[in-house]
Amino acid sequence: MGGFVKTQKTSAYSKRFQVKFKRRRAGKTDYRARIRLINQDKNKYNTPKYRFVVRFTNKDITAQIISASIAGDMVLASAYSHELPRYGLEVGLTNYAAAYCTGLLLARRVLKIRGLDQEYEGNVEATGEDFSVEPADERRPFRALLDVGLVRTTTGNRVFGALKGALDGGLDIPHSEKRFAGFKKDDKQLDADIHRKYIYGGHVADYMKNLAEEEPEKYQAHFSEYIKKGIEAEDMEALYKKVHAAIRADPSVVKSTKQPPMEHKRYNPKKLTYEQRKASLVERLNQLNSGAADDDDEDDE
Amino acid sequence: MPAGHGLRSRTRDLFARPFRKKGYIPLTTYLRTYKIGDYVDVKVNGAVHKGMPHKFYHGRTGRVWNVTKRAIGVEINKQVNGRIIRKRIHVRVEHVQPSRCTEEFRLRKAKNDQLKADAKARGEVISTKRQPLGPKPGFMVGGATIETVTPIPYDVVNDLKGGY
Repeated sequence: MGGFVKTQKTSAYSKRFQVKFKRRRAGKTDYRARIRLINQDKNKYNTPKYRFVVRFTNKDITAQIISASIAGDMVLASAYSHELPRYGLEVGLTNYAAAYCTGLLLARRVLKIRGLDQEYEGNVEATGEDFSVEPADERRPFRALLDVGLVRTTTGNRVFGALKGALDGGLDIPHSEKRFAGFKKDDKQLDADIHRKYIYGGHVADYMKNLAEEEPEKYQAHFSEYIKKGIEAEDMEALYKKVHAAIRADPSVVKSTKQPPMEHKRYNPKKLTYEQRKASLVERLNQLNSGAADDDDEDDE
Repeated sequence: MPAGHGLRSRTRDLFARPFRKKGYIPLTTYLRTYKIGDYVDVKVNGAVHKGMPHKFYHGRTGRVWNVTKRAIGVEINKQVNGRIIRKRIHVRVEHVQPSRCTEEFRLRKAKNDQLKADAKARGEVISTKRQPLGPKPGFMVGGATIETVTPIPYDVVNDLKGGY
């Protein structure tokens, strides 16, 4: 054996193959959902349609308000969970409670940008109940549509934690309480107490208590950062209350003072642009022609 | 039995999607806005079944007269017997593209306005009319040799050698 393997993809196959859109190949965009989220009524002309985009990475939460345009999507405001240390939350930056905080931060930021933050306070005391913004007298609330991306929308997903944060912050986002943590499918009702527990990290606190009693080593390993910062299971609710208050007090963006990453030396030549390649071709031809003209003169003589 | 004359008859190739362009349609079609009075081309997208115009209108250009939630009203000329009727159809935005028929005119208008403003600033009077190409200028033909061609007298004997 070794050497030739029967080719699986003939050139005929490659010639006829139609690639999917780039972001679909990357598995990042669901175009079926995107079309439906972006499509604006034609008789509304250039009125932007805002999406409340929530994405989770392994260590961060991204919440953005985005409107689409032909040049590219425009981000109106964004909030990341790595900004939460500024408001006093340093650990557990990807849990349900952190998602709530990030959604809340984004909502207050957007309302401040639009000048609506005095009118639409939202739900200051997070109770876990379903809260929808009441339109005030003069200006209508800021409306956005939730964009979950490719996440499976199960009950209690952190995406809906961020949604709840934005709703309580004062944004108008059409939703149903069916997917909030604490919705009982049997009763077909949202148990507001359970939802409130999740918003204040109660589920994490319970787990902490459980581990501290039953398996102390695992507790040390799992919640090492909490221990380092001195956060106990009982402190969680008070901590999150403080964070919410801090967010409402000052949601403005702070430019990071980090240096831009240093440039590394190139080990391979940089690709030339079309203009550069044409220019170098013209140069080469000129040299050839002038060289040939010299040769001709020499031959003639 | 004979083939019918249904709404989409004889459109097998006309409404087919082009090679390797099947599936989801790019989102700029949904993001474009159209105002009343714009010129648009009607080009059917076979992937979207709603709001399709009749095959006659495929490839026609018309003006927008109405804008609704998902569709656009387009006014297109259709010749029926001896006259041309202005037909008004409603077409979903997926089957419509902005027309470039007035692009050259609009650019020329903008350029002419600029030229006139410049001339006014300088105090000159200019004409911005387009002039048709005139006759080409005369030129001397170079490197031509003159070869006089005369007919040779008819030679009966040689020519009839082939057969008669």
